Amino acid sequence: MSGIDIASIKAKLNDEILAVASPEELESLRLKYLGRKGVLAELTGIIPTLAQEERVCFGREVNAFKAHVSSLISEKRHSLGAAAEEDAGVDISLPGIAHELGHLHPLTQVTQEICAIFSRMGFAVIDGPEIETEFNNFTGLNIPLEHPSREAFDTFYLDAAAGKEGRYLLRSQTSTMQIRAMKAQRPPLAIVAPGRVYRPDAVDASHSFMFNQIEGFVVDENITFGDLKGVLEFFAKSVFGKETKMRFRPHFFPYTEPSAEVDISCIICGGKGCSVCGRKGWLEILGAGMIHPHVFKNVGYPCGKYAGFAFGMGADRIAMLKYGIDDIRMFFTNDARFLKQF
Amino acid sequence: MDIRVDPGDLAEKLTMVGLEVKSVQPREGDFIFEAEVTPNRPDWLSILGIAREVAAVTGLRLKVKTDRPGLRPGLKRCDFSLSVENSKDCPLYSLKIIRGLKVASSPLWLRRRLEGLGCRSVNNIVDLTNYILFKYGQPLHAFDLDKLQGEAIAVRRGRQGESIITIDGETKELTPEILVIADAKRPVAVAGVMGGKDTEVSDRTSGVLLEAAVFNPVLVRRGKRALGITSESAYRFERGVDHGNLEKASLEAAELMLKLAGGNYRAARALGARKRFDRKISLDSSRVARTLGVKIPDAKIKKILSGLGLKVNPGGKGRFTVKAPSFRVDLASEIDLVEEVVRIFGYDRIPSSIPSIFGNVTRGNAMDLVAFIKSILVGLGLNEVFTYSLIDKKSLQDSRVEAPAAIGICNPLSREQEVLRPSLVPSLLKCVSYNLNQKQASVGIFEIARVFSLGGGGPREDLTLGIALSGERAEFLEQGQVKDRFGMLHLKGAAEVLFQRLGIKDFQFSARGKYAADIFCGGEKIGVFLNIKRSALDSFDIKNKQVVAAELSLGGVFKQAGLEKRIIPLPLYPGISRDISLILKEDTQAADILAVVREEAGSLLEEVRITDYYYGQQIPAGYKGITVSCFYRSGERTLTEDEISPLHQRVCRALEAKLSARFR
Repeated sequence: MSGIDIASIKAKLNDEILAVASPEELESLRLKYLGRKGVLAELTGIIPTLAQEERVCFGREVNAFKAHVSSLISEKRHSLGAAAEEDAGVDISLPGIAHELGHLHPLTQVTQEICAIFSRMGFAVIDGPEIETEFNNFTGLNIPLEHPSREAFDTFYLDAAAGKEGRYLLRSQTSTMQIRAMKAQRPPLAIVAPGRVYRPDAVDASHSFMFNQIEGFVVDENITFGDLKGVLEFFAKSVFGKETKMRFRPHFFPYTEPSAEVDISCIICGGKGCSVCGRKGWLEILGAGMIHPHVFKNVGYPCGKYAGFAFGMGADRIAMLKYGIDDIRMFFTNDARFLKQF
Repeated sequence: MDIRVDPGDLAEKLTMVGLEVKSVQPREGDFIFEAEVTPNRPDWLSILGIAREVAAVTGLRLKVKTDRPGLRPGLKRCDFSLSVENSKDCPLYSLKIIRGLKVASSPLWLRRRLEGLGCRSVNNIVDLTNYILFKYGQPLHAFDLDKLQGEAIAVRRGRQGESIITIDGETKELTPEILVIADAKRPVAVAGVMGGKDTEVSDRTSGVLLEAAVFNPVLVRRGKRALGITSESAYRFERGVDHGNLEKASLEAAELMLKLAGGNYRAARALGARKRFDRKISLDSSRVARTLGVKIPDAKIKKILSGLGLKVNPGGKGRFTVKAPSFRVDLASEIDLVEEVVRIFGYDRIPSSIPSIFGNVTRGNAMDLVAFIKSILVGLGLNEVFTYSLIDKKSLQDSRVEAPAAIGICNPLSREQEVLRPSLVPSLLKCVSYNLNQKQASVGIFEIARVFSLGGGGPREDLTLGIALSGERAEFLEQGQVKDRFGMLHLKGAAEVLFQRLGIKDFQFSARGKYAADIFCGGEKIGVFLNIKRSALDSFDIKNKQVVAAELSLGGVFKQAGLEKRIIPLPLYPGISRDISLILKEDTQAADILAVVREEAGSLLEEVRITDYYYGQQIPAGYKGITVSCFYRSGERTLTEDEISPLHQRVCRALEAKLSARFR
């Protein structure tokens, strides 16, 4: 036999519990019996030392006693609690208890916000490769390989054998997704494609050799320049507020015609002129236009059947404007003190 | 042209037709406009071209003097021979010989004008060629006549072994890719790019060979790139110069030379077709309406195009035949004319509309899954980072990560752009190091980006999730602060949550030594957990801290994702929970314990979990304590103690027998 008299321990406990007058005393009693080095732990510890036939019996006794202790303590807690309802309560100025959440990168937040706006209008959001061919990045987009218009698109080339569609490179703009989508399917198409793009630019506060663009395009039989304006105005008001005005200026892009650069009224001064907008009252935020007939030809669409518009914007630039960030490098340094602000 | 418009208003008008004026600065009673000229409009690279645009947007008349009677008579036979190797390389070449002139500094008016254009004054001869370049957009070059050898000019390709010292003093090797101007002996200019030092006009020059030409834009571009030089001339040639203007510009330059430097105009020679380059383009006004979504009256279309100097012949029913003048090299097809119409009509006058878009089905789209994964990881307390896809070779080696060979970049600007990364780990380690050095107690970050490698069919890219954890995070709980030190089990926990939320059931983790574990999904290896080795951490300047990192190929994850959900009916009967506290040999795997319990307990066991594990004083050395929680339930009846106790006893005995477990 174990030589331990559980009944006498039980009797002692009954006396002790009667004497308890405060939650603190109850807690120390609880620890004495149920704590890690408490009476019950000790009893349990004996079990493996016993002979097989004793073990089962003694184990049951210990279990039953444990249940008894728990219920006594719980009853006492109840009766004490009723008396303690007048307590001072919690110090609500202590830190709240919650698991700390992480933070989505500001570029993800801006990109998701913008894509969601276009999704609401029925656009599909797609992803595409960053390694591209000369065809998808240049020729297909009506950018001749030997023309000054390519200078705006200086490109990183890969040290890899060229494929059927020319040398491999890192895409210098997400417009490559126009070629990919149109080669893969016939209109109607309404697509936004966010992603990383690369250009060998020296890095400074406003330039980066890697940045993020969002391309959008719609192709169908009766898409007009008016549609382009309507869609982009809806977008600008959704991102920058109802009061935002938009201005379309003629510009040149090889893959659209007519082409436009698009400004919004300055989000800082509202158009009166300030240091952010260079006293002009306008901020350039994207390039757009009607897809050039050569592009349709290059993807094998029948001549004259389809019309479409396309636009491209820098997610980095929009995030910088929206959040007041003046150095593009902050996005890629990933300082926790910066990320935690989003 | 008599411009009576406020400069600010004019700048605004030009901006709104596509000639973006960046600034307007008053200067000595004039105004300097700084504008961005798009590559399609080389005609705007001249005062004349800008004046044409001003006329088009203001309705003012542009008066251009046409004839130069002073120069016609008295020409002698030209002693210079002229040859053009290939008329495709140089469609038009004209030379004029002027002798007896005197090189001096330019008059004030000329110096002022050039300064206003941001061009340094050299002497009267060089200055006036520049002046004509800016006025007409026609580049000119003046050779010192006496320094040319043999009275012959040839426009030909460079030859292997030839070289030239250009005006900037640099020696340049020539090749057959490069078009040159040569005298009887040697190249004297890189065609359209820069003249040679030897034949440069100097203070002692008394005669000049004045060149005006049109060169193949692609050749000029190649020459410029091959030699790494650029010039106002090359800038215009590679964009296209006006064939129709060449002779006028050349004559005016000669006339100005006589006026400023004296001398007399002796001879001229020209080769090439001075044909009119007026292209015929048809335009249907319905195309304008279809493109813009608004009808512009035919009369208005005609007025706009005529105002731009285009000849418009109405062909009835809204059809036009339009002749594009030689200075508009950008106009070739109908859509070009549509753009001209709307540009001048005003983009702001096109009413906005919303197209009817037939929504796309995007269920289960990879982009949605990525967004979902990001939100889960943020929920686990990790911060998302964006790091560069291009890295240096050294940091890749330093990280000691197992990765396929990286694809090199042919033209990096710096060492940091040497290769496309085949792994996210080096970038994440850099980011961890940066933040630890900013005195962050813990760093928990993730990135979803592509990694790159060279596959059999060419370069490949794989969307990859990378996680890196370091340090300990402090959590405030009711009992106060609890320190949670990041380790490999945190990576496992994150992966399990991801798999569970993505509906993936078939996954395993398998240790590979002390420092790594492989992740399998659907039987396929899709990633690893890594405990970064000390030597690697040292290279990244991470001291006194451990870093664990994970990399998972999302392609492999998406393949297994099952987002279809079917509910399991809620249980009808209560279950019974039993905890077992065990002391086991240290090397006993948790998985073995669970396997024994499952095997022994059979179908009544609904769930078995490890709920606690501990080492320390109460446990003998070489042993560990584990608490296993078993939950029994039947789908048909309420289980009783009497039914479960014997079963649970069997489980305990099996643990004892098979794993030498002791009970606490």
